[in-house]
Amino acid sequence: MDFAFTPQQETLRREVRQFIAENLNDEIVEEMDAHAGAERPRGPSSEVSALFKKIHERGWLGIAYPKEYGGQDGDRVSQYIVEEEFHRAGIAITLGGSGAPAILAAGTEEQKQYYIPRLINREITFCLGFTEPHAGADLASLRCSAVRDGEDFVINGQKMYTTAAHSATHIYLMARTDRDAKKHDGISIFIFPMDTPGITVRPLWTIQNNPTAPVGTTYGASRTNETFFDNVRVHESCLLGEENKGWRVGAMGLNLDRVGAWRYLISVSRDEDIVNWVKNNQFGDYSPAKNPAIRDKIAELWVEAQVCRLMTMRSMSIVERGDEFTYEGSAEKVWAPEHGVRITEAITQMLGPYTTLLNGSPRAIDNGIFAHNVMGSFQSGINHGSVQVMRDQVARRGLGMPSSRKSTTAGAR
Amino acid sequence: MDVLLDDDEHLISDSARAFLAGECSTKLVREMESDDLGYPAELWQKAAELGWQGMCLPENVGGSDMPLVHLGLVLHEVGRAVAPLPLHSTAVASLTIAHDGTEDQQSRYLPPVAMGETVLTWAFTEVDPRPVPEAVQMQAREQGDGFVLDGAKLFVDNFNAADHCLVVARTTPDSEGEAGLTLFIVDTQAKGISHTPLVTIAKDKQSEVLFENVYVAKEDVIGTPGEAWPIVEDMLDRGTVLLCAQMLGAARKDIEMAFEYSQFREAFGIPIAAFQSVQHMCADMVVWVDGGDLLTYEALWRIDQGLPASVEVSQAKAFCNEKCEAAVRNSQIIHGGIGFMMEFDLNLWFRRVSAWCMRMGTSLDHRARIAHALIDMPGTVVLGRPIPVLVQEDDAVPASASR
Repeated sequence: MDFAFTPQQETLRREVRQFIAENLNDEIVEEMDAHAGAERPRGPSSEVSALFKKIHERGWLGIAYPKEYGGQDGDRVSQYIVEEEFHRAGIAITLGGSGAPAILAAGTEEQKQYYIPRLINREITFCLGFTEPHAGADLASLRCSAVRDGEDFVINGQKMYTTAAHSATHIYLMARTDRDAKKHDGISIFIFPMDTPGITVRPLWTIQNNPTAPVGTTYGASRTNETFFDNVRVHESCLLGEENKGWRVGAMGLNLDRVGAWRYLISVSRDEDIVNWVKNNQFGDYSPAKNPAIRDKIAELWVEAQVCRLMTMRSMSIVERGDEFTYEGSAEKVWAPEHGVRITEAITQMLGPYTTLLNGSPRAIDNGIFAHNVMGSFQSGINHGSVQVMRDQVARRGLGMPSSRKSTTAGAR
Repeated sequence: MDVLLDDDEHLISDSARAFLAGECSTKLVREMESDDLGYPAELWQKAAELGWQGMCLPENVGGSDMPLVHLGLVLHEVGRAVAPLPLHSTAVASLTIAHDGTEDQQSRYLPPVAMGETVLTWAFTEVDPRPVPEAVQMQAREQGDGFVLDGAKLFVDNFNAADHCLVVARTTPDSEGEAGLTLFIVDTQAKGISHTPLVTIAKDKQSEVLFENVYVAKEDVIGTPGEAWPIVEDMLDRGTVLLCAQMLGAARKDIEMAFEYSQFREAFGIPIAAFQSVQHMCADMVVWVDGGDLLTYEALWRIDQGLPASVEVSQAKAFCNEKCEAAVRNSQIIHGGIGFMMEFDLNLWFRRVSAWCMRMGTSLDHRARIAHALIDMPGTVVLGRPIPVLVQEDDAVPASASR
């Protein structure tokens, strides 16, 4: 075992920090926030494009992706380090969530050649079209349909919580292509441009809006969307993987999306914040840093945060070895989001009414980030597979326990 | 960065597990609970043939000079088998002699350890059970060519079986805290020593040891008289993290028994493993013990690298205490009434994990140490980066230099 980064990786981290200090500003960070609500042209602004060109020139984008598709043939840990540092600065440089890994694993050569380099340099960004009004945790019960018509598919239906649907260039969509098959067997994945005729995006404003949450809030921000598909016609070349075999492709991408720098940092950022805050602040003559109950709670949560870090490192180690998760990704997706909630709620009891004050309020601490966290931290335990679903997976995949649904049915007979 | 076990580490772990599966039945574990000595001499000897006692001792005393991580893996398996072996207490004492003892002390005390011919232990705790220097009140006054020890130590492991015991006492009258402490190697048969067995939930061997005018020669002092705290702190850190490894091995086996039991125990016509409430308890148990493993291996690894590890050791113990206890308690609940029965083996694990959770510092003790490093030291903390180490600001020697 080895718990250290290599000297090369440490150098890389220093270089990335230096770059961030020299090249990032608030406007870019705001635009990069996927949830930012403003209606604007799809795709990156010229400033963001220029920034990504610079990052790309450093060889820091898609490090673990093959060179032939615009990556660096590098290691997953180095890619993690770059992602962590940019996330700390408030911007995501990951390749649009689960899209890129799924294309790499299941795409045609043509799709890989087209999409991966453009995802890496940010020409293309994906929004995720999985969840529907009636299909969340039980995603395979989705109803959005794609009906074959010659070389095309015609898509009809509705997707929920399509975050960034108003700004992404493309969508990564899961739809039903065979109504008669068993529910997991009739599903396909499509990737296509968001300016395809027949798509309507309607904003859904979260409880993080008005005032808008500061950048860096746990499961930040103000806007997601619902997206309607009304006879949207796409060519069959938009299929990712085989027709009716989309379930596994989608699940695989999601697995990789549940771990990594983003999930880790949204779960632990407040641990750092509260330690550094109590070190440097007090309320009049009262110093929370000297309160034994607060000291104990902070230490307890700090240890939990270390477990978040180590579970992330474990996931990276597994991926880097070329192995598959059995349950480790799901375990991390139980522990880290619930830790995020525990630290958030503990802070409310350390800072009391100050934690009610939102961004822009007089007396708000650190732009109200702790208050906004109260309204958002539990989100991390819901999206991309709820912690309840993740516990099912740990028990069933990790421990070989039987499905409760099947057993209950069998028992009833 | 690869936090998973490598091939060598798997080999050590697998072979220790296979050995104990063959040699250490629960019948033996039960027998040793009421045995006077508390461990089977034959098994202790076989362990020495495998090189366990000498694993991290220098080669010139018959050891194999391997990293502490390897001994952690062995203790993990010892815990898994709840093997009645005095390996932990012997390791705590012998590693301290190996790290901080003189060549003479090493050549006198360590070869019999590696040969499996002796058992060692250590005595730090007194009435105040916290692993902090101010808890040491026992006095040792200089006399002739040695010191005379007076006082009482509590919760001393395997004192009944040990030939020698490392004892921490104050040689500077009226000293406080870290100052004035001295570490002695004491013959357990020396004149003036008496001990009373304590009755523990683990039914293992712990004693209250009384020292009345016990003479110890100067050549049996480890380090400089009055300046033993850094040595003692390292001793406690190694012992604490190795105890975590042992506790995690036992907790892992304990929860595996619950997973297995739930698969064949039926209620309402189906295995209880099919109930989501049971599944979610089990998922939590795995997550907790996995988390403990990662914290513990990181601390062991850092000690092996010569990096500051005090905070990491405390992280591991603070977490393992509460999470291992919760995991084995969940296991009891999943087992229902049968887990409460003495004749059912589960209790052998439950009672030991519970006891180990309470020794070498509670979660509160260790969190106080973490909080001190996090909050009282200057500078900004960043997760994953080194945090300020545990030193007094006026301390000239950084704690890292003592490793």
